[in-house]
Amino acid sequence: MHEVSIAIGMVKELTRIALENNAKKVTGVKLKIGKMSGIVADSLIFAFDAVKLEHPLMSSAAISIEEVPLVYECNTCKKTFETDNLSFQTCPFCGSYSLKLLSGEEMHIENVEIETEEESHV
Amino acid sequence: MCDVCGCGHSHDHSHDTKSPHPPFEKGGRGGILQNKVVDVNQSLLKANEDAAAGNRKHFDEDGIFAINIISSPGSGKTTLLEKTIDALKGEINIGVLEGDIETDLDAERIRKKGVPAVQLTTGGACHLDSILVHKGFHSLEHSLNGKRLDILFIENVGNLVCPSFFDLGEHLRVVLISVPEGHDKPLKYPKAIKTAQLLIISKTDLVQYFDFDMQKIKKDALSLNPSLNILEVSSKTGEGMDEWIKFLIHRLHR
Repeated sequence: MHEVSIAIGMVKELTRIALENNAKKVTGVKLKIGKMSGIVADSLIFAFDAVKLEHPLMSSAAISIEEVPLVYECNTCKKTFETDNLSFQTCPFCGSYSLKLLSGEEMHIENVEIETEEESHV
Repeated sequence: MCDVCGCGHSHDHSHDTKSPHPPFEKGGRGGILQNKVVDVNQSLLKANEDAAAGNRKHFDEDGIFAINIISSPGSGKTTLLEKTIDALKGEINIGVLEGDIETDLDAERIRKKGVPAVQLTTGGACHLDSILVHKGFHSLEHSLNGKRLDILFIENVGNLVCPSFFDLGEHLRVVLISVPEGHDKPLKYPKAIKTAQLLIISKTDLVQYFDFDMQKIKKDALSLNPSLNILEVSSKTGEGMDEWIKFLIHRLHR
């Protein structure tokens, strides 16, 4: 269950970013998680929702996760293909074993949504 | 001053805190609440990666070759370390950080070999992270009395899943898979194989008692990580130990 540690680090990092941007609170965070990142999205959501409660700035933040599919490029025939299969792949076009993973291992915080208080000049 | 652990060291733990939006003066009463989206686009593991980079820099400055050893519980990590210490005694200065969920049994075993060891007890966490290693390394430094280290072994918590995610600042990552665990482990735990530079197949003296396919485990591991080095070692009989020691010395002086 490495997702708890990841959530703790993530909340720490988000708190830093929020304070830098003068946030009164964090309302949302958007992640990109690759299907082959080894992170279970549901576990991470569960962990984040537990960890955030200890941080007043973050406690009402909603987390959304975009799962990124596996996309390979064949080094032999240069075609790309998408798959949900996590096990070892061969190129469906030419059978080559020589493949490059273009996406599917992402573990990124894409953006964070914050609420700030701007000075009113009334 | 090291602000990660307050140890008084003056090494650098710099973080890039440059903000695209410099904080402005706090608004007075009657401020307007506004929502905005801040693009972050950074790794989810940034907090750990930053501390890992700090560790690596520290090891480099001290001329220490750091090795992170990952495996399931009971694959023979500590026994391999004991035999490695025996083989290198007198020529290479070794220090050990021992990761475990509970007890300092492993650190005790290493200390009996006359090598400084610090137990990192995670108290439940199933892996080490770079901040814990940072603290443990300072603690180890205090016990060295000025002696310098050549190699720092970091024995991770027994687990083939979670430790693969956390860079500790090591220069070499070794994964152990023992014969009794079975030859199917690389495909079942791909991240461990993909992030390592060396796979040690341990307890090879037991191969005759198990339906273990040595060719298959190597083929699968290389299909996941074509540049992976693979060694077969039995700590019990000493078979393969020479190759392991040669590999270590070669990497140390590279």
